[in-house]
Amino acid sequence: MAHDSRVARRYANALFETAQKYNVIKSVEDDLAGITSLLDGDRSFHDFLLSPYVGREEKLRICEKLFSDRITALTMQFVRLALSKRRESELKAVYSEFVELRRLSEGVLFVSFASATELDKKQREALEAKIALTTKRKVEAEFLVNPSLIGGVKATFENTVLDGTVRGSLKRIQESLTHDVLKQI
Amino acid sequence: MSNSSKPSGGSPIVGIVIGAVLMVGGMFVDKNFHPEFLEKLAQQGIPIEPGKVLAAIGVLLVLFPLVNLFFVKPLQEAIENRTNELDNTFSEVENLRNEMTQLKSDYEKRIAATEAEAREKIQAQVKEAQTLRQTLMAEASSKADELVKQAQVEIERERNKVLTDLRVHVVNLTLGATEKVIGANMDTATNRKLIEEFIEKAEVTA
Repeated sequence: MAHDSRVARRYANALFETAQKYNVIKSVEDDLAGITSLLDGDRSFHDFLLSPYVGREEKLRICEKLFSDRITALTMQFVRLALSKRRESELKAVYSEFVELRRLSEGVLFVSFASATELDKKQREALEAKIALTTKRKVEAEFLVNPSLIGGVKATFENTVLDGTVRGSLKRIQESLTHDVLKQI
Repeated sequence: MSNSSKPSGGSPIVGIVIGAVLMVGGMFVDKNFHPEFLEKLAQQGIPIEPGKVLAAIGVLLVLFPLVNLFFVKPLQEAIENRTNELDNTFSEVENLRNEMTQLKSDYEKRIAATEAEAREKIQAQVKEAQTLRQTLMAEASSKADELVKQAQVEIERERNKVLTDLRVHVVNLTLGATEKVIGANMDTATNRKLIEEFIEKAEVTA
């Protein structure tokens, strides 16, 4: 079923405002991250939670048993609400929206770095520092490995792409040469 | 051929009257008049009876107009009618022949006119066909020239397209080969150097 991002945004907004009020943003985010990773990692839990054949009470009972002593009361309350409103399929989207809201609230820039091989800690820190320095914003980063990039690193944030990969350079050369060839006609 | 016979002499009534008088006179003479010389002649073997002769002449005079009236005249009329009829028929035939001749002449004239008209029409059609042929040939020639020009333009375009495709293909092949060579020669040190260069040069334009 396709997620309605407006619904997720509304839930995330309400949750974020409440978490902000009680100063538990970090805890709630961690709780949501935990639930999302459980949904991604545990197929049987995923199928159980999203199954239309399992009743609301049953889902609530299991979730209470699983999470009540592991997550904050606010997150638990949100889970109960989502289940009672049959919005369990929106949990992952709510998490994404919540993170977005938190970053927006803190003025954090989310940067996605992609490289052909795994970067070491020093390189990661240097990259984060460089982007933070050039954008003058606090940076939160994710590091992806993509062997097709051959070498170098690519940073993607907001509407900007900084491509320092071999693949990117080759693509630019290719585009330039193709452009020159087409110009000759 | 009309041979109209008209009754000759005076009126037949005159003849009939004379005949009747002669008949009566003859009968009277035969009864009452017997001269001596006639009896002498009769005795000599020459019997002459003038009364009977007169009566016979009177009968003839009466018979002749009657025959003429009841036999000759109708016959003459019939002959005349037949003659007239034949004349009419011949005249009619003549008229018909003239009419036929006229018709034949008209028909021949008409045939000649039709032939002339047909010939004119054929000539006109032939002329029109020739004009049409020339027009069509000119059009076909013009169209053929246009097609040839179009084909030449198309060939030129296709040639350019193929050349461009070929060049683009060469670029892609070259870059593919370059990518493979670089990929094969890429090591940790080079990669590290590239990352350092990126860190050094990366800049965000506002």
